[in-house]
Amino acid sequence: MKFSFTQDQRLFAEGLRDLLSKQCTPTHVREAWENQTGHLPDLWSRLTEMGVLSMLVPESQGGMGGTLIDAVLLFQELGRAAVPGPVLEHMAVAAPALAHSQWAHALNDGTATATVWVDTGPYVAHAQVADLILRNDAVITGFSSTDVHGIDGGRQLFTISGGSESAASAQVFGLPASDVMALASAAYLIGVSEAMIEVAAEYARQREQFGKPIGSFQAVKHLMSDALLKVEFAKAPTYRAAWSASTGSSTALRDISMAKALASEAAYRASRSTMQVHGGIGYTWEADLQLWMKKSWALMRAYGDATYHRRRVGASVLHG
Amino acid sequence: MDLNETAQESAFRSEARTWLEANVPTSALPSFDTAEGFALHRAWEQKLYDGGWSAVSWPVEYGGRDADYIMWLIFEEEYYRSGAPGRVNQNGIFLLGPTIMEVGTQAQKTKFLPSMASSEIVWAQAWSEPNAGSDMASIRSKATRDGDEWVLNGQKIWASRAVWADWCFGIFRTDPTAERHRGLTFILCPLDLPGITVRPIAQLDGDTGFAEIFFDDVRVPLANTLGEENKGWAVAMATAGFERGVSLRSPARFTEAVKRLIHLWKTYGDPTDTALSDAVTDAWMQAEGYRLHTYQTVTGMLEGRTIGAEASLNKIFWSEMDVRIHEIALQILGPEAERMEGPSERWVDGFLFSLSGPIYAGTNEIQRNIIADRVLQLPKGM
Repeated sequence: MKFSFTQDQRLFAEGLRDLLSKQCTPTHVREAWENQTGHLPDLWSRLTEMGVLSMLVPESQGGMGGTLIDAVLLFQELGRAAVPGPVLEHMAVAAPALAHSQWAHALNDGTATATVWVDTGPYVAHAQVADLILRNDAVITGFSSTDVHGIDGGRQLFTISGGSESAASAQVFGLPASDVMALASAAYLIGVSEAMIEVAAEYARQREQFGKPIGSFQAVKHLMSDALLKVEFAKAPTYRAAWSASTGSSTALRDISMAKALASEAAYRASRSTMQVHGGIGYTWEADLQLWMKKSWALMRAYGDATYHRRRVGASVLHG
Repeated sequence: MDLNETAQESAFRSEARTWLEANVPTSALPSFDTAEGFALHRAWEQKLYDGGWSAVSWPVEYGGRDADYIMWLIFEEEYYRSGAPGRVNQNGIFLLGPTIMEVGTQAQKTKFLPSMASSEIVWAQAWSEPNAGSDMASIRSKATRDGDEWVLNGQKIWASRAVWADWCFGIFRTDPTAERHRGLTFILCPLDLPGITVRPIAQLDGDTGFAEIFFDDVRVPLANTLGEENKGWAVAMATAGFERGVSLRSPARFTEAVKRLIHLWKTYGDPTDTALSDAVTDAWMQAEGYRLHTYQTVTGMLEGRTIGAEASLNKIFWSEMDVRIHEIALQILGPEAERMEGPSERWVDGFLFSLSGPIYAGTNEIQRNIIADRVLQLPKGM
């Protein structure tokens, strides 16, 4: 029994963090919100070059040949930077599912962008910037999309019409696309939560009231500690879900649901507490905190919310 | 990452299971917070020791098996699964023992560890004082040097197991000019010495699980000093870190409690009440999350990382989870939960006990301060 990541896995995640700290600052994320696409083509190229987008594609198909254990820390880093655009959909599902299709090359080299539409929701995220949509056992191309105004400017939502379908696999490592998306979003939400807590802790160190930094007050300390507690205790279940998914464990779907339920609730708690710590500034458009808060409010609902996933866990552990 | 057990770990699990199945008393022992129960629990500890199972993570020379932390967790899983009695000497084996191994002299290791593993000596903790609870650095009990002895004076409170225990470990002010956490020394003291008065305190459940200890010119040899003189705070924090971290509440305790909770829900719960089934599921997820978190923590320790202030996160998590598990059980039991016997007996007792969790070993509010200060790097202040 060994519950830890390898040196290589940690170093790759650190490399990604380093890249994102320069290429995906809050200024960049706002640019994606404001360019009406929720997407950053330059960043996309960098993620392609680094091998992030093809992490789960087999080496024989031009990818990095990684497993979901290799990818889970990367999902988390992407969340820390609130990376906009269809990065999870493309990286976690479309690229590996279509690795043996005519689309494989274009998805790996970044010339084509894909998103995923699963049955847990009626809308298609990122459809406007996607060349193709993976939908159950089909690839949809040539569609038209209508913006339905998602809350997160980096995850725009659409309904689609028209287009043509061709048959495709929607399985990744033998798992349905919706479950892989749930796992990827759980890890991403952990990163989002960590970032919100860091931003709020920094604010609490600087902002003074009553002649002292507000972070010195117990009421603030306890809000922050409780937020951290939920995030820290969502991590091991998320990493375990990645392991179960990678190894074909019989409990993989239960474990993914546990991760998504815990990460969704942790992210919501973190959003509420960190906004409260910011006071009035937290309620402004100007404060960067909203870049992560809105990501948390979008992804906690997407790919199955906490109630949906908790009941899937319950179906397994109460009646199993 | 490999979450499967190794062949060695599986063999260890199987050996532990076989021994426990053959040796665990078939009926529950009376509470170890009663005279009769204490004696029976001490006898059980002796049996565990004879089988080599009382302190599996200790070195063989002191009565252990050199088991690593993963194997310790496996043993704990088997221990709770078997329904074996509570550990009457846990203050010794899980808290003081590892501290002696870390900072004790060779003579102290030889003298104290084997008798601790066998529970020939049962240990009580003597840290808090009437005016030093959450504010433990305001300790006033003092130890004054006289030749090759310490002379102890003062009063300790909330000393778990002190009513029937043989020895206690505590921190005393040895430098009267020093303030707060400076000038304190960690001292080991028999409880049957002249000048010691132990006054039992009845707990919320009516048993006398803890006590006050009065020290009136009690003389102990300087050799009973654990760690350096005037550096007792650091020694105590090492012990407390271990307590909050992994040793005090191993995950198996909660995974077993949740198994019983699910059984209770299946027996008495309204299956159409989705709020209730969601709550039971959530309890399962919390216990499972704590188990996973602990395996991740101990893997880190095996790879050379140390537990710091994040141990405080564990303490908040398990203590609140324990209360929550019992609240859900009492909700399922409905009107039966007003009774101290019948189907609710174990759950009402457990509920009362769980309420001590957020208070002892440092209240959860103190833990939140520690997390905020040391993990989140927020400014000090009240």
